[in-house]
Amino acid sequence: MSHENIISIEHVSKRFPVGDGEFTALSDITIYFRRGEFAGVVGPSGSGKTTLLNIIGSLDTPTEGTAVVMGRNISNLSHKESARLRNMHLGFIFQVYNLLPVYTVFENVEFALILQHKSAAERKKAVMEALEWVGMAGMARKKPSKISGGEGQRVAIARAMVKRPDLVLADEPTANLDAKNAHAIIQTMKNLNRELHTTFLFSTHDEKVMSYLDRMVHLEDGKVAKDEFIKTKTTKP
Amino acid sequence: MKLAFQLAYKNLMGAGLRTWLNAGVLSFAFVVIIFYNGLIDGWNEQARIDGVNWAYGNGHLVHEAYDPFDPFSLQDGHGMLPEEMQGNLTPVFIQQATLYPQGRMLSVQLKGIDVNQTVVKLPTHLLDSSSAEFPVIIGKGMAASAKLNVGDQVLLRWRDRNGTFDAANVTISGIFETNVPFVDGGQLWMPIDKLWEMTGLTGHATYFIANDAYVPEESAGWKFESKEYLLRELTKIINMKKVSGSIIYLLLLSIGLLAIFDTQVLSIFRRQKEIGTYIALGMTRWQVVGLFTAEGSMYSFFATVLGCIYGIPLLAYMANKGFGMPLSADQSGLILAERIFPVYGAALIIGTIIVVVVSATIVSFLPARKIARMNPVEALKGKLQ
Repeated sequence: MSHENIISIEHVSKRFPVGDGEFTALSDITIYFRRGEFAGVVGPSGSGKTTLLNIIGSLDTPTEGTAVVMGRNISNLSHKESARLRNMHLGFIFQVYNLLPVYTVFENVEFALILQHKSAAERKKAVMEALEWVGMAGMARKKPSKISGGEGQRVAIARAMVKRPDLVLADEPTANLDAKNAHAIIQTMKNLNRELHTTFLFSTHDEKVMSYLDRMVHLEDGKVAKDEFIKTKTTKP
Repeated sequence: MKLAFQLAYKNLMGAGLRTWLNAGVLSFAFVVIIFYNGLIDGWNEQARIDGVNWAYGNGHLVHEAYDPFDPFSLQDGHGMLPEEMQGNLTPVFIQQATLYPQGRMLSVQLKGIDVNQTVVKLPTHLLDSSSAEFPVIIGKGMAASAKLNVGDQVLLRWRDRNGTFDAANVTISGIFETNVPFVDGGQLWMPIDKLWEMTGLTGHATYFIANDAYVPEESAGWKFESKEYLLRELTKIINMKKVSGSIIYLLLLSIGLLAIFDTQVLSIFRRQKEIGTYIALGMTRWQVVGLFTAEGSMYSFFATVLGCIYGIPLLAYMANKGFGMPLSADQSGLILAERIFPVYGAALIIGTIIVVVVSATIVSFLPARKIARMNPVEALKGKLQ
């Protein structure tokens, strides 16, 4: 295991109780991701993609094995420590955007910075910069209900990126978008990956997204079926 | 905490009408609590002032055998107090008598009082200035029930010190208006020296009214009753009214708090994805609990503001114009003015605000605790039951 790994998953299994039995979502997975990767966990529904992302995002813990993110063992973190990890180092992009409905676009993006106790001036500068990145600066005052799905996902990207996280976890980010918007969104994230060297990890089964990825980890029935490096921009750890 | 309130404020303002409906219900409870308590306090204050001004002064030095609740004690409940002990005291001498207005017969208390007294508001100067042989003053209630007017002469019968009946026409020299029933109903006030003369009990008194300069001292056969003691029955009634009033405002407050509780439970159920998002963005579970609790508690702040907007003019109007009481003083037996002017003290207002804010915070916290046990993954999916 290299110290340059931003994510180290070793022999991780995750099982959920279902009725009297158990459902195995992940089974003895070992995988590493390095800083700056633009990678995806791909596979059919139920293959364990989202479960893996939730564990990496410290929203869940493995039943067995160790998941180390940014040098922190997810299983050993307290609620407060995992909240701090998410707040300071991780960005999330969800399938349904999950924008806070009563806040404006600006306030949605600003939220993470408020939690970091940044000053108003710092927040304003960072938020406008993030909105510029995704081409939404002109809609800063609008409520989420007044913008389209594609625009909503752009705002979600800005919200994830505004705190300059080390790692962005995107769970099916294009599932609710048309082809044109999906390409635009992925291109935006790709640009941010290049410019800011932020690590992006997707969970997807969308061919459009896959076409942009540098690396694809194929999951099948909770196991790594294939670890595929499409381009040689990153090296296998 | 500041962050929780900032976010709660935004969330509630964003929720629009729902927020103002809850705040409206709570503010109604708020205003009614203040009004009802203000009314009781106003009555209490008015009754105490009237009681002291018209009857109690700074307290009574009462003959030990006299019991105001036992008319039989009037026969022996009087005596003489050494003159050197009568400083700062105004004597009142009570005898039973019968009045015969327009052929009817009324049992009355004949009360002799020093015509030069200033310790109570009874207009005894009217007795002094009257040229009648037996001048009396009566209250408006007594005048109405006996159908008497100023200048009327009416037959009075009483017994002297030997028990012998005597009778004379007394003249109504004045009619006064008071809210104190035991100064008015069935009472005839006359010069004490005239009553001494009529009964042959010169120098006798049933009780003395003390002025502010009076310092109680031991005196055989007499007991001092402070004005607080004399007001004890009134205090009991006021306290009982407050307790019965608290049931009403407990019900009103419960309705307001139930609305908040219900909103909180629904909010936590409907806003699961939002809760999951807060956690994903880096809030701890307890920060989210704090946020939802702050939202519920903020309803009470909005209710305060809303209550001020319509409550201040309404309560000020009531305080200025008063509240008409359906019972007249002589019917209820209580010191009760025709109009009660509510009194809203700082303690009442601040106390009510604290009660409403604290109870709103508690009912908001109770359902919000559930968030601390939420699985953020399930919350993000909106799948929690």
